Amino acid sequence: MASEQRANEVLKGLCDGVVAFDEETVGKFSKAAVEEGVDAYDAITKGLAHGMGKVGELYAAHEYFVPELLLCADALYVGLDILRPHLKRSDSGKSARRIVLGVAEGDVHDIGKNLVKIMFDAAAWEVYDLGKDVPLGSFVEEQQRTNADVVGVSALMATSMLAMPEVTRMIKTRNPNVVVMLGGAPLTREIARSYGADGYADNAGEAVREAVRLVEVIK
Amino acid sequence: MEFKQDRMSRQERMQALYNYQKPDRVPIFEDGNFFCMINVGYRLTDLYSNPQRAFDALIWTCEQYGWEPERHCSSAHAVLGTPDFGGRIKSPESIYSQGLSVEETAVQTEDDVWNLKMPDPKTAGVIPIRMEFSKLEEKAGMPVTFLARSPLCSGAEICGVERFCAWMHKKPELCHRLIRMGMNHTLEALQHWVDTFGAGKVYYQMSSPTESNQVISPKHFQEFALPYHREFHKRLRAMGINQFHFHICGEQNLNLPYLARLAASPDGWPHPSILSFGHEVDITNAAQYFPKDIILGNIEPALFQSGTPQPIYELCRKTIEKGKKIPGGFILAPGCGMPPRAPGYNVWMMTKAVHDFGWYD
Repeated sequence: MASEQRANEVLKGLCDGVVAFDEETVGKFSKAAVEEGVDAYDAITKGLAHGMGKVGELYAAHEYFVPELLLCADALYVGLDILRPHLKRSDSGKSARRIVLGVAEGDVHDIGKNLVKIMFDAAAWEVYDLGKDVPLGSFVEEQQRTNADVVGVSALMATSMLAMPEVTRMIKTRNPNVVVMLGGAPLTREIARSYGADGYADNAGEAVREAVRLVEVIK
Repeated sequence: MEFKQDRMSRQERMQALYNYQKPDRVPIFEDGNFFCMINVGYRLTDLYSNPQRAFDALIWTCEQYGWEPERHCSSAHAVLGTPDFGGRIKSPESIYSQGLSVEETAVQTEDDVWNLKMPDPKTAGVIPIRMEFSKLEEKAGMPVTFLARSPLCSGAEICGVERFCAWMHKKPELCHRLIRMGMNHTLEALQHWVDTFGAGKVYYQMSSPTESNQVISPKHFQEFALPYHREFHKRLRAMGINQFHFHICGEQNLNLPYLARLAASPDGWPHPSILSFGHEVDITNAAQYFPKDIILGNIEPALFQSGTPQPIYELCRKTIEKGKKIPGGFILAPGCGMPPRAPGYNVWMMTKAVHDFGWYD
């Protein structure tokens, strides 16, 4: 079992490795976590996810852009692939949060949604990604199938925004306790609210924080 | 309501701008044919399959709203990375669709990049349809439009933007190969327009959404976009094309200094060209960077879709007041494609605001 000091070194190494998009470093510290008995859940949430949180801040500050985010995600997934099999059964209760994600019908711009997916993966949520140009009914069906806490719908085009109030209504009619979050360049918090959504985020990092907050409020 | 009478014809108004003279009033462009199609009761798919309908929709809608159809901001690209290089696209069938969408990119793997073949510049993708549209423009005495993506965007379209971004750090040689192939295909197709209509009639339009800082850094812009812009304009000049419209799409504030240096150099575009900007770029700032060019924009398109008339009118008023002070000239337009299902009265606010505030007295 690693000492507290060593565990902190490992967590810092994971975090820094993700921020530096250094797959080798993340791989090294992920294996170290497994071999030295650092709790896998802590390694994911306090190491990898913490790193992705910093990456999100760098993106919001226009220091990192999409190519850098994708490299950081590659490093993140190196770590997740090593650590996830070592999560204890009891860890599943710590984050029994599920999200269905997709790009609204008529729209195929999915980079933003993919970045959001990465953030939720990093935060140890179960993510059900429906992809792009998703028929409205599929959001409802997938939420029912997975019992997801949150449904996230994104759109880049103004025309696809028209789908959002309808899909929000469809989800809420079936289950009023599901959190619906909307995102995408043409949206604002006010527009999302006017569409009946519970939440909105204007960047991937913020999306996870908003989802956590809303799930706690509604549940 | 009664409008003041125009003192210039459409052609005179645009010619005044191109001569750095004040027109009678601010011209209005619609930026995007999607709205025109739905406005006259046609389908969006007609834009890509029926050139006569696409042309009629443009002319009728411009007549209805008092817009200038010449040098309109086309949204129908002549050259498309995906279908032209062997990928699959989907027509806008859903009521929530706005344009063509990619079902499968032409390139999926690194090997695909090296095995990629150049398409036929006369028959690939929608080139034949756009050629027929251009013939209708010529018949009407208008410049013939040719819209294509910038070299970087052309390359990214071939493999998909996310894959392209992933390769920028790890495999830049793949990106450079795709950019070059995309650029060369665009120029070969453009040569077909020049051979058909003559260089003097061709109005070249370029859009660059993937170059926005919402996607790439200014560092990557310098590495993967700027050198090709320089080369592209050299080749445009060699072809004899001197009418250029650059849609600098999205958040590009960090790129503007580099584009401004290019514009001011002998390697840049002819002046005046029309430079259009989204709502992310302030038009007064844009005018400072590009003092020799006509600035077009920049009302946020989503507002036409989901806003109400009065705030749109007010935004148009403020934009017109800024725009009238631009020494190089100004055209009012949405910042990107007008949403096809925007309420007509919201769209009308551009025309109303120009007629209330857009006169150069």
